[in-house]
Amino acid sequence: MRFRNPLVTFLFWFAIVMLYLPLFYLVFQAFLENPNDWRSGFTLKWLVKLFDSSALWVPLLNSVEIGVLSATLAVSLGTLGAVGLTRIAQFLPPLIQTLILLPILVPEVITGLSLLLFFLLCRFDLGFVTVVVAHASFSASFVYFIMVEQLKKLDPQMNEAAQDLGAKPTEVFWKITLPNIIPGLMGGWLLAFTLSFDDFLISFFTSGAGLTTLPLKIYSLMRIGVSPELNGLSLIMICISTCLVLMLISKEQSRKWVLKG
Amino acid sequence: MKRTSLIPSSAWVFLIWLILMTLLPFTLILAMSFLQRSDLGTIVFSLSFNNYEQLLDWVYLRVLLKTLWLALMATVSCLCIGFPVAYFLARVQGPMKSIGLILLFIPFWTNFILRIYGIVSLFGTNGLLNQTLLAFGLSKVSILYTRWGVYLGLVYNYLPFLVVPIYSSLEKLDPFLREAASDLGATRFQTFRKVIVPNIKEGVFIGSLFVFIPMLGEYVIPDLLGGAKEAFLGKVMVEQFFVLQDWPLGSAIATVLSVLLLGALWLQNRWSQKNQAQSEGLFHAI
Repeated sequence: MRFRNPLVTFLFWFAIVMLYLPLFYLVFQAFLENPNDWRSGFTLKWLVKLFDSSALWVPLLNSVEIGVLSATLAVSLGTLGAVGLTRIAQFLPPLIQTLILLPILVPEVITGLSLLLFFLLCRFDLGFVTVVVAHASFSASFVYFIMVEQLKKLDPQMNEAAQDLGAKPTEVFWKITLPNIIPGLMGGWLLAFTLSFDDFLISFFTSGAGLTTLPLKIYSLMRIGVSPELNGLSLIMICISTCLVLMLISKEQSRKWVLKG
Repeated sequence: MKRTSLIPSSAWVFLIWLILMTLLPFTLILAMSFLQRSDLGTIVFSLSFNNYEQLLDWVYLRVLLKTLWLALMATVSCLCIGFPVAYFLARVQGPMKSIGLILLFIPFWTNFILRIYGIVSLFGTNGLLNQTLLAFGLSKVSILYTRWGVYLGLVYNYLPFLVVPIYSSLEKLDPFLREAASDLGATRFQTFRKVIVPNIKEGVFIGSLFVFIPMLGEYVIPDLLGGAKEAFLGKVMVEQFFVLQDWPLGSAIATVLSVLLLGALWLQNRWSQKNQAQSEGLFHAI
């Protein structure tokens, strides 16, 4: 049966349009001669200028490096956890379940502040390393849940067969489990990378003074005001984020997580 | 015989990481909230509830009340806008369901700062709205840098996170319930009020709590969209750390927010268990 309620359908599409309007206007603005006037005509000069300046390349490179490292760390940790816990996932004591959920559940402000406090008390120098570790600490739990889903689909008899044929547990992992969970690993890595690449607050708290990622650069420009440079950076950021999300959605394992936010 | 523990060793790497990088930092915040700040700005190790008492001071209580009110308005607005969206997604069939969900979520996987910047470029002093008003010969309006800016930012950024719980509550609803109601002669409105609302109200309430509580701790939205004069709980909290150097007081605010959130989580678990028990009881009765 088709759904027919014109009012509800209208309200749905209206909400969707309102959600997209600000982002579309940002993209539009990046091509304007004068970003404060939508009738000022189009130009590519701001974007060309941006591509020549270090304002784009330094933060972009930092964001990518942090994303790659933290995603790799998060995937290693989350997968280790999932490999060990999948079979007993339902019987885990609530305390451990809450512990795993905690990084997903707690607002980023509080995660960021608590990590900042932790790093300062341990006398770590805030910078590249602390941001990578902080990002991995919240994305590892996301990877864990994706990997649990993936591992549940594996036939346990395969592992048993390998063991019966004399494979040691480590051999079972490398030769049987790992090749079978590669799609999940890729989905998890991509999700962790996206989370890291888009993150603002946790980077803001744990990066110290010297390091800028793309979102941090956009934030600091935004405090000054609307500028062509800012619009150009926003355009690039929107393009990269949208590509990452579309790649994630095309991966079945992580679709659920994208939609859960 | 080799002893096998309940939790395999590979999982311990992950669990120890979580304990070190998540639990320990939160415990530090909790511990910090019972310490004191000296006049010189250093931390004094004397246990007391002073920071929590200070939060009951009129200065902070006023901020708290203002924040609660604004977050409440934003949550109710999200409910009003989100309900038709969730209802559409729950009722529509076929590919439109997943397309709709994806459409709803793509903006929320772009960067958070960009969404706020989008609002600035629409509603700012020289934003699209004001340019349009000027073009029609009307005078500019200033929405940003007032509490309404914060309100807009909250509604915009939290909407999908309320659509999801409403949507999943509606999905769980047995479609025969609605048919039964209309067969028994109920009008659409009666069905909505007497069948749909009672069945989804718990899920929607919990969903609202999980939107409402994080809103209270929001820092960037009031910082970028509210004026300098607009006090907001999350902003006050972060400023305790970065501007006023009063870590113990900031930690106390963070602790209160975390406790509220854990309370909501506990409520959710209890209700879902109760519902499970109820449906099992129903099953046995049949």
